Amino acid sequence: MSENEEPTTDGGTASQASAEELEELEKYPYEWDEPANNNLEPEERESVSTPAEKSDDRKLVTGQAKFTADYEDQFSDLAYTAVVRSEIPNGRVTAVDTSEAEAMDGVLAVLTPWSEEVPDAKYTSAGQSYPEPSPWDMQVLNERVRYVGDPIAAVAAEDRETAAAAVAAISVEYEEYDYVLDPEEAFSGNAPRLFEEDEVENKIVGHDYSRNRMSHIDGELGDVEAAMEREDVHVHETEWETIRQSHGQLEKHTSLAYTDEDDRVVLVTSTQVPNHTRRQLAHLFDIPIRDIRVQKPRVGGGFGGKQAMVTEPIPLALALASGRPVIYEASRDEEFQAMRTRHPMKLRARTAVTDDGDIEAIDIYTLSNTGAYGSHGMTVAGNVGSKPLPLYSKVENVHFAADIVHTNTPQTGAMRGYGAPQGTLALEGHLDEVARDLDLDPIEFRQRHYMEVGDLDEIAGMMGGEGAKRRIRSCGLDDCVARGKEAIGWDDVEQPEEEHLHRGIGMALSAQGTGVAGDELGAAQLMMNEDGSFHLHVGGVDIGTGADTAFVQIAAEILGCPPSDVIIKSSDTDITPFDYGAYASSTTYISGMAVKKAAEDATERILEWGSRMLEEPAENLETGDGTVFSEETGESVTLEEIGYEATYGEEDREQILGKGTHSTEESPPPFAAQFVDVTVDDRTGEFDVNNLVVAVDCGVAINPGMAEGQVEGANHMSFEMAVSDGVTFDEKGRAEVSDYDEYHLPTASETPPIESILVETHEPTGPFGAKSVAEVPTNTVPPALSNAVRDAVGVRISEMPITAEKIKAALDEQ
Amino acid sequence: MSVELTVNGSAVSIEDGQDLATALRSAGYTGVKCGCDGGTCGASKVFVNGEIAMACGLDAAEAAGATVETIEGLGTQSDLHPIQQAFVDHFAVQCGFCTPGMIMQAKALLDENPDPSEGEVRAALDDNYCRCTGYQKPVEAILDAAARMRGEEVAADGGETRAIPRPEFGAGGIGGSDNE
Repeated sequence: MSENEEPTTDGGTASQASAEELEELEKYPYEWDEPANNNLEPEERESVSTPAEKSDDRKLVTGQAKFTADYEDQFSDLAYTAVVRSEIPNGRVTAVDTSEAEAMDGVLAVLTPWSEEVPDAKYTSAGQSYPEPSPWDMQVLNERVRYVGDPIAAVAAEDRETAAAAVAAISVEYEEYDYVLDPEEAFSGNAPRLFEEDEVENKIVGHDYSRNRMSHIDGELGDVEAAMEREDVHVHETEWETIRQSHGQLEKHTSLAYTDEDDRVVLVTSTQVPNHTRRQLAHLFDIPIRDIRVQKPRVGGGFGGKQAMVTEPIPLALALASGRPVIYEASRDEEFQAMRTRHPMKLRARTAVTDDGDIEAIDIYTLSNTGAYGSHGMTVAGNVGSKPLPLYSKVENVHFAADIVHTNTPQTGAMRGYGAPQGTLALEGHLDEVARDLDLDPIEFRQRHYMEVGDLDEIAGMMGGEGAKRRIRSCGLDDCVARGKEAIGWDDVEQPEEEHLHRGIGMALSAQGTGVAGDELGAAQLMMNEDGSFHLHVGGVDIGTGADTAFVQIAAEILGCPPSDVIIKSSDTDITPFDYGAYASSTTYISGMAVKKAAEDATERILEWGSRMLEEPAENLETGDGTVFSEETGESVTLEEIGYEATYGEEDREQILGKGTHSTEESPPPFAAQFVDVTVDDRTGEFDVNNLVVAVDCGVAINPGMAEGQVEGANHMSFEMAVSDGVTFDEKGRAEVSDYDEYHLPTASETPPIESILVETHEPTGPFGAKSVAEVPTNTVPPALSNAVRDAVGVRISEMPITAEKIKAALDEQ
Repeated sequence: MSVELTVNGSAVSIEDGQDLATALRSAGYTGVKCGCDGGTCGASKVFVNGEIAMACGLDAAEAAGATVETIEGLGTQSDLHPIQQAFVDHFAVQCGFCTPGMIMQAKALLDENPDPSEGEVRAALDDNYCRCTGYQKPVEAILDAAARMRGEEVAADGGETRAIPRPEFGAGGIGGSDNE
């Protein structure tokens, strides 16, 4: 943006900036003080925005990569875990008979809620920063049980079969309480209660445990009710419902615990948050943080499910009790019954819109079912509003409120999208309905109100907590829409010849964030070898996304070496610097910027050595092509020559090191425009999704091949939210899903082709212009498919999943 | 009791009383992955006497005398099999946990059908669950691997080597910004 084209906060209609606007400009400037090396023209980029080979791929495709369970063979005395889980949805354990199990050959330890090695402390499994915005309402093993699957007892044994047999031999007696599964009933004031006030520490704003409410949040800009009462507006109200989605990552939660020769505790574990896990374990077990080491090997997917500290405390308690290394690999049945899921929600959207299509007010309310415990309950619900609503930053009156309630169902938690999928369904489905009702073009209607560069977004921060206002410095929504429209064939929809078949196209927009504003920290260290290669140590956590590769590409761009000359070690709390972990789409943006700073720090020393060797001032020198060179003289020296000179020089020697640490108040939104092409049979309601197109503005993609993969995988997860049942329960609160064949994860042939389009913008606050990519395409298929079906056959399906039966029933009602 | 069999061309002894996937993993073949409670996710696929099978769905004892091929026998990190190479080139690997089973399934498909349609590739992967990729890039990789493997056959016959289709990433994305 050139200086004389600075947009104004009101879209350019005012002639004079007010005093308030000037003050805001000072505090939230358009121009970001960005170093020149952060904004490279495409032809200047040597490493970033190239499809560099993913650094762990060769070991993954040959089966050589080591996931947590693959460390088994390093421990000849490894013990195996099985867990006794509650058979009832609500009640109290009155007795646990472990005598038969303890007498079995090969049983090494049996733990109950009353065992000495089992922590009594309350905690949350959330895996968030400190102080945690989740209530401490859980215990490792439970006398008071609140869902079918709550852990009660645990066994360590010489082998898996003995552990399973011992668990089967343990008998539990219960005092059963009435239970409640439906969130509206739970919140009615006449339902069985899950928590007494004194059973929760670190309670969250708006809690009212007499009505099973763990939190209530509310935020408003302007005056929504006044706008709704105006005479010149149409008020629309729609209702929406989302599924309980399982993370379904292929590698089950797996943790291996032991004490090393220094009597320190070591966890090898499949986690997204090694540092938070270390802190949480220190709290639970009363062990100093310094005496716990958390190592993350390759991780077989997380999607938020491994932000939760679900398995780690159990093998640790068993290791302390048995004196043996202990591994706990959850079963797939436990994954569906007792780990974490996305929060199912019921939402209501209201708008006030004039005849001309001006949106005067938006109001969204959600009732979120957090299940038996409250981890992430408040923050996920907050994101239902704070992620999607800022899309329409031109709307002056905005209200969002949420009630988050407990039911006797398995615990929910963080999941990719983090509330945004639920909010995006309500918002983008609702706006489509309004556009149809008022005969407005659904895209033009959105474009009149949506975000653009220069906007000062107040909506993301209106609930408090996540910063106050943010200046928008990159926004590719126009290009996302234009390229998505073209790819799907928006203007040229051919209807099938068969009269009973109807083709429709639906679209939806989405915004996410990039890290938690003002609540992130990443760090990295580099050391140079004498052969001109580098070791990069970074706290950032690669859970299968390719983050390690992005870190290497960022370092290589600054160091001027090929990515293959950077050897990465990440996520070992004894060795790598601190990192908040892989969540909130923060890794490339926060940890990646720390890597960039570390590389710049090391490069300063490399240039100093180059200066000595070339007898040129350092300011005349640059790195590139594995050398330090001078544009002026054409002289160069290789990084290897510098490495040897710095390490073995005759007069002076130095280990070339670099360090970087990064934190920021910024959280720029990435954007997505989703298009869905569907054909519906009006006789049966059956439908085929012909194509998914999703265009994403993620700033500069550090690795376009990996970024496309993130977009496509997220869109598959989003598609599942639109067409699958998720985890359902019987009338006793028992999950009806125990393995993949019962959980309808769309297979390869059930998944439509996904066309991912990367729209490049430059986000000046991110490393080389990058912002996040992996969450925003998770949000958009449910509303876009609902809108496409509406377009095809004129019926609105607002309760997910969209099924032939629901479409048929709605068609019959017409 | 121990069970004798041949794994990737070597004589191997495994313990019975467990499923074949667990037994192979205990014998060091940890490229055989276990993602479910048995017989649904496809991550443990291996060839048993030339037939593709989920190792977790077989008793170790059933493999007595069998010839088993696992992912470890397919290619090495410095000398990848064309299917493995195509998975790398197409960014078809994210977490990589399902990948060994998916690559073995792809090999089973291409052994039978060297020129599959996209629909045939998708159908072949229907009992290989993947949570990361949405199947898009694995399907592209397998189609490309098929082309490469057909190309190799042409070259071996003395004909021209076919141009290997290479993926294009971010096509049109670079410089597409209107923010400057």
